Amino acid sequence: MIATSNLTKIFQDKKRGEIRAVDSVNIECKPGRVFGLLGLNGAGKTTLMRVLSTTLKPTSGNAKVAGYDVISQPEKVKEKIGFLSSDTGLYHRLTAEETVSYFGRLNGMEQNILKKRVDEIFERFDMNEFRKRRVDKLSTGMKQKISIARTFINDPEVLILDEPTIGLDVVTSRGIIQFIKKSKQADKCILFSTHVMWEAQKLCDDIAIIHKGKIWEVGTLEQLRARTGLNDLDDIFVKIVGE
Amino acid sequence: MNLRKVRIIYFKEMLETLRDRRTLISTILIPILLFPILMFGMSAVVVTMMEKTEAEATRVAMIGEEFAHSFVFTFLEGDDFQKVEVEDFESALKEKEIHAALEFPSGFEEKLTLGENSEATIYYDAAELRSSIAAEKLFDKLEHYQDSLVAERLRDRGVERSLLQPIKINEENLASQEKMGGFMLGMFLPYMIVILAMVGAMYPAIDLTAGEKERGTLETILVTPVSRLDIATGKFLTVLTASLITILLSTASMSLSASLGFAQMSQFSSEQVPFIIKPLPIILLLLLMLPLAALFSSALLSVSLFAKSYKEAQSYVSPLMFVVILPAMINFIPGIELNWGLAFVPIVNISLAAREVLLGTFRWEFIGLIFVSTFIYASLSIFVTKQLFEKEDVLFRT
Ligand SMILES: Nc1ncnc2c1ncn2[C@@H]1O[C@H](COP(=O)(O)OP(=O)(O)OP(=O)(O)O)[C@@H](O)[C@H]1O
Ligand SMILES: [Mg+2]
Repeated sequence: MIATSNLTKIFQDKKRGEIRAVDSVNIECKPGRVFGLLGLNGAGKTTLMRVLSTTLKPTSGNAKVAGYDVISQPEKVKEKIGFLSSDTGLYHRLTAEETVSYFGRLNGMEQNILKKRVDEIFERFDMNEFRKRRVDKLSTGMKQKISIARTFINDPEVLILDEPTIGLDVVTSRGIIQFIKKSKQADKCILFSTHVMWEAQKLCDDIAIIHKGKIWEVGTLEQLRARTGLNDLDDIFVKIVGE
Repeated sequence: MNLRKVRIIYFKEMLETLRDRRTLISTILIPILLFPILMFGMSAVVVTMMEKTEAEATRVAMIGEEFAHSFVFTFLEGDDFQKVEVEDFESALKEKEIHAALEFPSGFEEKLTLGENSEATIYYDAAELRSSIAAEKLFDKLEHYQDSLVAERLRDRGVERSLLQPIKINEENLASQEKMGGFMLGMFLPYMIVILAMVGAMYPAIDLTAGEKERGTLETILVTPVSRLDIATGKFLTVLTASLITILLSTASMSLSASLGFAQMSQFSSEQVPFIIKPLPIILLLLLMLPLAALFSSALLSVSLFAKSYKEAQSYVSPLMFVVILPAMINFIPGIELNWGLAFVPIVNISLAAREVLLGTFRWEFIGLIFVSTFIYASLSIFVTKQLFEKEDVLFRT
């Protein structure tokens, strides 16, 4: 579902010079599994996910997402993915319903199908209470629900979630964890980044540790435990990253 | 380009733009209200000033009054002058106790009766409107008095008065009524419309680019299955629509309030200022503004797409405003006419052509050339905007 081969993204920064934000990354995420991307601030998680969602072009290497090439078929890739991050905002002056419908229409959904789908999603995420209210008048939790709803409107095969729980309270982040679990049951392929270890420990089937743009270790939690001889993911992470 | 997606984006951007208070003010409210307020404000000021001036007598101090009895006598006949006794006329003028002072040298009237010449001095404050008016009135009075003296002296010598005026000069204004209206409008309308076309596009352009970066919605749209070209096109059309709305509203508002305002002001002028605006010049003006609005819209989009935040975008757009205002002021420089060179200078060409058209001169070869050249500039600018939307270091500038 997601497979990268020597995926590399280099930024040319005026002050810092060349930044290898993603450096020869090879990962593989499969349907029905949650792939966790663990890394410190600046490790390259967001950049990797942006390349996979085609908003950034790789400097070298390539990746396939849902069977499509990120370089030559970006439009196709975007039809198959749902991308959510703390950086993807919502239009303040649209209502909850207008927002979700808008993304449905951009995904090419026909009006009658879209309407049904919107009803279903508002029901499912329990959003009918604020359906007609403007986004800028809503709480963070409500907004997060709308973000998830818009990510989900086209029933994507692949979910790319960049620290989706960052800055959210317990209840709201629980909602997101639930959503990830359900998507996994629905056989979606989920790439999930975090620097919260217990979240990864609870949720991820595969874990990759990314540091300075490189993947340092990848495997199931059990495999990582066996390789390091440690039990807690915190300890494993620190040992691998070595800081 | 996927037209269906462009349309979806366009309608959503329009909806959002129309819900933005800043945009509503700059795109709709200002163009509607600016001209009536300017016109009626101006004419109200003029009217009250005129009324006040007329109601209030002109206060004058006389120095050496005793040397000019008969003048002072005729002078005081009309009741629009009031003689004021002051100690020191200079400070009285400064304190606005008097509007002007009139000084006669000793023996003023004696000399005149003897057929000799004399002089009189008017003191006034040119920085004060009321004082200048008073001085002018005094001058007229003195001239009038002088006239009667001249007539008397000529009569004594048995000379015909017409001998002094071999040529009788007649003046007649042949400007058509629409030209008179166009003259007033030709100077201000193009200037105002050009600036408002920019102002109307400004906030939507910033909001749809830098504003979206700031709110993170640009990244949201980038991960949906629409091409960057479609996004750029939808946004461009939205900004262009805002600019065109501003142009239409301000043209309508200015034509209307100009007709009404001039009608009100002409009550006080001896000459009637008839005010007729024909539809053809207005249609041509709007047509010429179309490519210019496209040029402004794409330039504003490019500049503000480059900015990281709303604030930063505003600081880039302000200098751009001057780039527009200065060439738009071309009509205020007397004697500049449209020529083949100027027809290629953006903004300048449209301002000059708009004035000509409003004055009733239609030089179609220039109008066509200006339309085409501005259209080409707009296309180039739109191309740059499109390129910027494709560049990730512009979209993700940190
Ligand atoms: N547009 C850009 N231009 C230049 N450098 C960038 C750009 N985007 C990211 N970087 C740099 O690339 C590196 C990786 O950044 P990235 O945002 O991918 O890290 P991250 O793992 O998502 O970090 P965080 O946990 O803070 O979100 C950092 O050094 C960052 O400064
Ligand atoms: Mg990040």
